Amino acid sequence: MTAERDDDRLPDSWLAAAREHHRPPDVPRAQMWDAIAAERERRTAARRNLRRLRWGLALAATLVLGIGIGRMGWLAGARPAAAMAPAPGTAYRVVAAQYLVRTEALLTDFHAASRGGRLDPQFVGAARDLLTTTRLMLDSPAADDPHLATLLQDLELVLAQIAQLPDEPARQDEMNLINQDLTQRSVLSRLRAATPAPGAPARIQGAL
Amino acid sequence: MVEAELIARARAGEPAAERALYEAHVDRVYRLAYRMAGDDDLARDFTQDTFIRAFERLHEFRGEAQFSTWLHPIAVTVVLNGLRKVKRLRGREADLDEGLEVAGASRAAEPDLKRRLAAAIDALPEGYRTVFVMHDVEGYTHEEIGAALGVESGTSKAQLSRARARLREALADFAGERVP
Repeated sequence: MTAERDDDRLPDSWLAAAREHHRPPDVPRAQMWDAIAAERERRTAARRNLRRLRWGLALAATLVLGIGIGRMGWLAGARPAAAMAPAPGTAYRVVAAQYLVRTEALLTDFHAASRGGRLDPQFVGAARDLLTTTRLMLDSPAADDPHLATLLQDLELVLAQIAQLPDEPARQDEMNLINQDLTQRSVLSRLRAATPAPGAPARIQGAL
Repeated sequence: MVEAELIARARAGEPAAERALYEAHVDRVYRLAYRMAGDDDLARDFTQDTFIRAFERLHEFRGEAQFSTWLHPIAVTVVLNGLRKVKRLRGREADLDEGLEVAGASRAAEPDLKRRLAAAIDALPEGYRTVFVMHDVEGYTHEEIGAALGVESGTSKAQLSRARARLREALADFAGERVP
């Protein structure tokens, strides 16, 4: 027990009886560790999903705001080009820049991975997300620019193809067709031309 | 390996270090949880929750005290809160302070020392019972108890003294067995 002074200590027979009360069994160390590891993994995944959801909601909200701002400018009688050209801080410009960067990254990785014959299923999920954004972009003032509108339409086509890739080995033919589209339409080079350089202000070069 | 190094590696997210910390401290946490809950499922839940919280908050550990000194307040909080929740769920709203009378009322029906003592311990007010179990049953020092409960060690001593007095009162007819 302890070396502390213990003037009113209970009788030993009582203490022995007290230690029999709720006497612990062997400690189930391994089972508890497994449960701890599983719960921590579950919490980590939940936090990751929550972050993704927040990011997605923020992106969607910003995009909707950007579209609204652009339309208000259009309704107010401004020419589409005028609505888009100045004001680099405009919300949809930021979103459009982020969208182009993400799309370029995805397509570059896809191009490399598919030629190697291996494709992570995450490509399909990411393509679906970007496809949704592409369609919102096509409905935004960004699509009033003919160059960007054409690029967005090509991206919509390519992303839709990736998003629909079947989960089986036979998809190599389809991946080749997508790569063919990427090359023939010069999608990647046009995308890179429209994507802001690293460290540049969040505005879209050329197209916007 | 020195515990400080283990903690640093666990903070960096190294699973082996987390496991080693767990192995070093789990017995004492589980034993206390079981002593307080008297139920294996609850003791497991409380122990698991203690370590999950501890690992999530490991960055808050400054290394100024022993790891066990930092861990046990988490364990005691988890156990006491968990037991309160269980009591509420089970609808046992009886005031813990009234438990002594319950134990006293059952004297005639439970002449056996072990059973009487067990009933009297269970009937102790939460604070008394926690200190009694930690000190007299599991061998924690008053300093450790004070740190775990967030009180001075003198308060722990006073609580223990009152807990023992309550037990003596509840088991007065066994008083002849007291060690001189």
